[in-house]
Amino acid sequence: MEKKYWQSFGELNNSDAYQKSSKNEFKEELPFDAEKGLLDAKTPRRDFLKYLGFTTAAAAVAASCEVPVKKAIPFANQPEEIVPGVANYYATTYVQEGDVISVVAKVRDGRPIKLEGNELSPITKGGTSARVQASVLDLYDGARLRFPTIDGKETNFDTIDKVISEELASAGNIVILSSTINSPSSLDVIQKFLAKYPGSKHITYDAVSNSGILLANETSFGKKVIPSYRFDKAKTIVSIGADFLATWISPVEYANQYAHGRKINDANPEMSKHIHFESVASLTGSNADVRYLHRPSQTGAIVTALLSAVKGESINGISDAKLKEGIEKTAKALTEKKGEALVVCGSNDVNIQIIINAINEILLANGKTIDWNSINYSRKGIDTEFAQLVDDMNAGTVGALLVIDANPVYTWYDNEKLKTGLDKVKVKISFGSKADETTQKCKYVIPNHHFLESWGDAEAKSGCYSFMQPTIYPLFKTRQWQDSLLKWGGASTDYLAHLKSFWGAKLTGSNSWDKALQDGVHNTASDILGTSVYNATSLAAAIANVQPAKTGIELQFYQKIAIGAGQGAANPWLQEMPDPVTRATWDNYLVVSPAMAKTLLKIDLSKNAQSDKYEVHPDKKVVAIKINGKLIELPALIIPGTHPETVGIAVGYGRDKKLGKTVINDVTDTSIGVNVYPFAQYVNGTVSYDISNIELKLTDKTYPVALTQTHNLYNTPHGNRTEILKELTLGEYKENTKVILEEREKELAAYGGLDNFREEGSIYKPFDKPGIKWGMSIDLNACNGCGACLIACNAENNVSVVGKPEVLRFHDMHWLRIDRYYSGDADNPNVVFQPMLCQHCDNAPCENVCPVAATNHSSEGLNQMTYNRCIGTRYCANNCPYKVRRFNWADYTGSDSFPNNQDELNNAVHYMNEDLTRMVLNPDVTVRSRGVIEKCSFCVQRLQDGKLKAKKEGRPLKTGQNDEWDLKVACQQSCPTDGIIFGNVNDAESSISKARRDSNRLFYSLEFLHVLPNVNYLAKVRNTDEQA
Amino acid sequence: MSLKYESQIREPLVYGNKTYHQVTEDIVRPIEAKPTKLWYVGFFMAISLLLFGVYSVYREVVYGVGQWNLNKTVGWGWDITNFVWWVGIGHAGTLISAILLLFRQGWRTGVNRAAEAMTIFAVICAGQFPIFHMGRVWMAFFVFPYPNTRGPLWVNFNSPLLWDVFAISTYFTVSLLFWYSGLLPDFATVRDRAKTKLRKCLYGIASFGWTGSTKHWQRHEALSLVLAGLSTPLVLSVHTIVSFDFATSVVPGWHTTIFPPYFVAGAIFSGFAMVQTLMVVVRKVFGLQDYVTIGHIEAMNKVIVLTGSIVGIAYLTELFIAWYSQSKYEGYAFFYSRANLFSPYGWSYFGMMTCNVLIPQIFWWRKMRRSLFVTFFMSILVNVGMWFERFVIIVTSIYRDYLPSSWTVYYSPSIWEIGFYLGTFGLFFTCFFLFAKYFPTIAIAEIKHVLKTSGESYKDNMSEVENTNAEEFAHKYAH
Repeated sequence: MEKKYWQSFGELNNSDAYQKSSKNEFKEELPFDAEKGLLDAKTPRRDFLKYLGFTTAAAAVAASCEVPVKKAIPFANQPEEIVPGVANYYATTYVQEGDVISVVAKVRDGRPIKLEGNELSPITKGGTSARVQASVLDLYDGARLRFPTIDGKETNFDTIDKVISEELASAGNIVILSSTINSPSSLDVIQKFLAKYPGSKHITYDAVSNSGILLANETSFGKKVIPSYRFDKAKTIVSIGADFLATWISPVEYANQYAHGRKINDANPEMSKHIHFESVASLTGSNADVRYLHRPSQTGAIVTALLSAVKGESINGISDAKLKEGIEKTAKALTEKKGEALVVCGSNDVNIQIIINAINEILLANGKTIDWNSINYSRKGIDTEFAQLVDDMNAGTVGALLVIDANPVYTWYDNEKLKTGLDKVKVKISFGSKADETTQKCKYVIPNHHFLESWGDAEAKSGCYSFMQPTIYPLFKTRQWQDSLLKWGGASTDYLAHLKSFWGAKLTGSNSWDKALQDGVHNTASDILGTSVYNATSLAAAIANVQPAKTGIELQFYQKIAIGAGQGAANPWLQEMPDPVTRATWDNYLVVSPAMAKTLLKIDLSKNAQSDKYEVHPDKKVVAIKINGKLIELPALIIPGTHPETVGIAVGYGRDKKLGKTVINDVTDTSIGVNVYPFAQYVNGTVSYDISNIELKLTDKTYPVALTQTHNLYNTPHGNRTEILKELTLGEYKENTKVILEEREKELAAYGGLDNFREEGSIYKPFDKPGIKWGMSIDLNACNGCGACLIACNAENNVSVVGKPEVLRFHDMHWLRIDRYYSGDADNPNVVFQPMLCQHCDNAPCENVCPVAATNHSSEGLNQMTYNRCIGTRYCANNCPYKVRRFNWADYTGSDSFPNNQDELNNAVHYMNEDLTRMVLNPDVTVRSRGVIEKCSFCVQRLQDGKLKAKKEGRPLKTGQNDEWDLKVACQQSCPTDGIIFGNVNDAESSISKARRDSNRLFYSLEFLHVLPNVNYLAKVRNTDEQA
Repeated sequence: MSLKYESQIREPLVYGNKTYHQVTEDIVRPIEAKPTKLWYVGFFMAISLLLFGVYSVYREVVYGVGQWNLNKTVGWGWDITNFVWWVGIGHAGTLISAILLLFRQGWRTGVNRAAEAMTIFAVICAGQFPIFHMGRVWMAFFVFPYPNTRGPLWVNFNSPLLWDVFAISTYFTVSLLFWYSGLLPDFATVRDRAKTKLRKCLYGIASFGWTGSTKHWQRHEALSLVLAGLSTPLVLSVHTIVSFDFATSVVPGWHTTIFPPYFVAGAIFSGFAMVQTLMVVVRKVFGLQDYVTIGHIEAMNKVIVLTGSIVGIAYLTELFIAWYSQSKYEGYAFFYSRANLFSPYGWSYFGMMTCNVLIPQIFWWRKMRRSLFVTFFMSILVNVGMWFERFVIIVTSIYRDYLPSSWTVYYSPSIWEIGFYLGTFGLFFTCFFLFAKYFPTIAIAEIKHVLKTSGESYKDNMSEVENTNAEEFAHKYAH
């Protein structure tokens, strides 16, 4: 018999009670009464620890889940050519409404994140502009159109192609309306399309055209083209209202050439002389050696007088004595340098440009400073052609309109007439990539690729080709317009095949298609300057027809370097870039002179109390401007360098809200700024942006303008702060090239003088700095303040956009800014631009005050910021004499662990934090969280990369030896004038060492503080007769 | 009879014909009675302010320091102004209890308890600002030098902010110990009189088992002297180190060698003013006029006019040095940004000069020193002036420093910045109301100590003593 083990007598005897209990599954009492429910249960002593354990664990799990999980999905299969963490570079081309800049796109893990200038380009030589740098952000713009639409409804390409083909077949009189297209293959596509549809034509429309120059050249030289201006060959440069460093025709190219003549060699101090005539302060005018102010309507009289003066005749028609003397001096400076002089004019008046041509002929510029062998294809639009098209549309003779990269509804002066005309066009097709003002009027929309998604080519100047290749698969259901035209034109190939076959024959041997694509550029132009035959017959008529000067207050519209004709309006980087002239962001405004401010605004800037009040309050007085009976209101900013009876307003604002969140003012929920294009005038066949007969009236309203700099003078009531920056005239410099050294010696005399300053200025012994030591040199003569470096820095270092409400509170985050100071005449001052970034001081005042050592010095001389050590006391920022440290006042980047704490921020921040926009972030650079300080790191990620490259190749680092570079920091790379040199100062052969050795203009900002900066500047020299 | 002889000409420190028992009755009565309506009103006002402060700080912690109107140029504003202001106020207590104890100033006994309490609460309030002005307050523990696994990564011993951490925490700790050790015999008194079990238990715990034995008294006296000795240098060091936050920087207007003595004088100045503000009210509300006499108030007003004048000399010295140095940057900071009524922040400099230097001069008149109304009004003005002083130093220096390109738009506080400041008032008064209700506001044991030499009724007997032969007197007391 089986042995029985028992636990209780009940079990042994198998009692009733045992039988009952053995059937009960839960022998122990449940810890709560089933009837009363769980919440009323008492916690027995034995269960207490269980509960405690469970709740602690649950709370810990719940608490540790607060950070939202973001998914990063690895590649299932390693794609060819993509190594995670290693960037690929593809040469491509920035093309926007005729502007062409060759670039190299940095692509990380399949997404382009940064554009670098293509140093192989013969035109820009690696230079870029702020707009080029910012264009990568447009790729990830959430407001881009994502699919083709018919009447606003989504459709697919097959359907839309079918419908449009049918429509076009019956439309008759098809017009292709585009901004300037300088892509040879695209022009070929257009020709093929036009051939298919007889009676169709192609009209070029530029938002701000150069019709005046084109037509004048047709008259004077028989060629309706713009030649190449060679600012590098000119010893005397005279510009009459041409903002050639910022917005006029080909500014990046001109900036590079201009700097060539401005940089000074110590051994032989010579530089070009730049005389500027203008009405409203511009970037180019701010860089001029001498600036004369005039009314916009006086332009004709000035060029006529200048013509007389260079001919040696007496001047008539200029009543302003200062101006008259200026013209005489200008003529003298020009005639002294015949063959090395260049006169350019920004006027769109044909007659004026004909006179300019005549002046340049007398100065022997033809073939010397104006190259007719090399034609600039950036601007081809003729205003009359478009005006004719508007008439035709109103007459109902246009059957179909295809709009490529043009937005006349926004930019054309008579947009009411244009809109009625458009209503009469049966078939309207837009290739706009965003729902801009013109695209909204079109029934069919086939959004174009971003240029970083496109194939293509461009010929900015004759023989200088630049190629475009996709750097990313199209993000949306978009298509290149060339593909559409080919398809509708009945071609069997797509654009890529067409492009290849177009170039196949032209690119042979060593210049193969692959090579051209790899280089990004292909140059067949010669270096020899060409002439053109001049024909003076129409000159007399032009002089006779010049518009006479007007009286009363005049208004001039101008383009800002960042916003342009409106192309940059939806780009938050560009909107937040302080305008170099006004230092304002996120708005347009009325620019008034200090003289007019006294009468109009009742503000006298020469009185400290009034200027203080004006400066410290961002709320600026609003002025009502009556133009042709229409009233607009804008806040007024006082900008010296503006003619006392002229006011200026920037174009490019007041965009349609469909362009995206970034064009909307958070507070008012209206568009940012005011669109002033409708107030432009059409005079003698060209659009003029000079308006007379306006009335200004001060209102009692105010409007906040987000300025990033409020005070502009370094001369204070308690001394001239020449330790900050140094400027002098060429005469002074020639007389004594050691003048800057002597000035420094004097400043440091109390601390041991120049030689012993480093040792005697401190109680600590100097320490050795072996190995690499980084340094930067900025030539104030090369810097024209364009701001390309600023946006390059934004893109490279993930610098936050903070939006207007935050900039208003002085919360902007720029690591690099361009300070602008005035000196001399209060109404027409000398302007100096000083790029200001972390100076990486060897004896940094920020480092010793941080309680947690979050900012410290590297052995290579970098002042480093350790973000995750920073607790945000801001003492470092207070103690930084250069005020370059930036604090994360709010969660600008979405990298904070508090949920929903961006709700109170603004549109711009929300835009920058969309998943799509965040694709632009550089994965090599930490995104800073709220509450920490950040600042320029000298692009430490690039430095590490460069060092690694040299190490892998087993050789010393190269920073400019024989112009070979292992690395360039972002600002340096983007600079169109090579004004920034960066490198290893311990290497005697590096560019930076040479630059420091060679120049006596070297100085350190605020050197006497003994903070020992690693950034030096070269003093600004002006080619003027007067003392600075 | 005490060993100490005090002339009848001297004002008595305790009025009325008090016995030891009466002293105990007078001081402990408010603790044992139900609080008055006025107390409730005041307490709830303080709590409301505190809650508003908590909400203001909550916003700042969650949304960021951007909730305040500080900017890229003005990195410190109301936050550090308030910090220095509160720390300054927190100076009087220790000065009264430590330095005056060492100097055997009998009058300190009437006010030292409240003054020390005020010190502790003020330092607690002050501490909130450096903590919550941080961008990442949850990482605030980084400022402590503790062994860690990050290298180990140590704090930066060069930074004045770190010195602050040590200076203020030391000061707080020593002040708290000093205050508490003084409270022990008084807590025991309250315990012994307690009628409910709870009171007995709580005050029993609080009094650490004080029995009043001679050994206890002996140790207590010794401890008081040791702590007084420890505190004395701290009174000078704390504000000296706070002044280093500015003095060791490169900012024109901050980089000034005069700061340590100037800050200490200012701190005592504002601390005494705050004691006056509180004591004038407390003596009235709790009927303690016999213990906090006009004589006490006058003594403190003398300190105020002395320290106010020291501060005034410091202001003038600064101006002189700014001129004498011929530094453009200092010249601008002192003569344009500050001593210039027409500059944007000129008002704050003149507010400071008026409240701190000019108006306190009325205390040269005895009548003014002994006027309760003037004293109360002046004590408020002095602290307004001292707030201006810190604001002037901090904001007018940095809003326009070296590079004119960075000169900022007008800085004025946001509602949350003001809320934080009001919140510390809430915290301060919440603590003070609780203190006034549950703690003996006057040091009972110490009053009893001076009662028989400086009490009014005992002074009457002094004429007898004065008539006795000196040798006889000595002989009598020798036994």
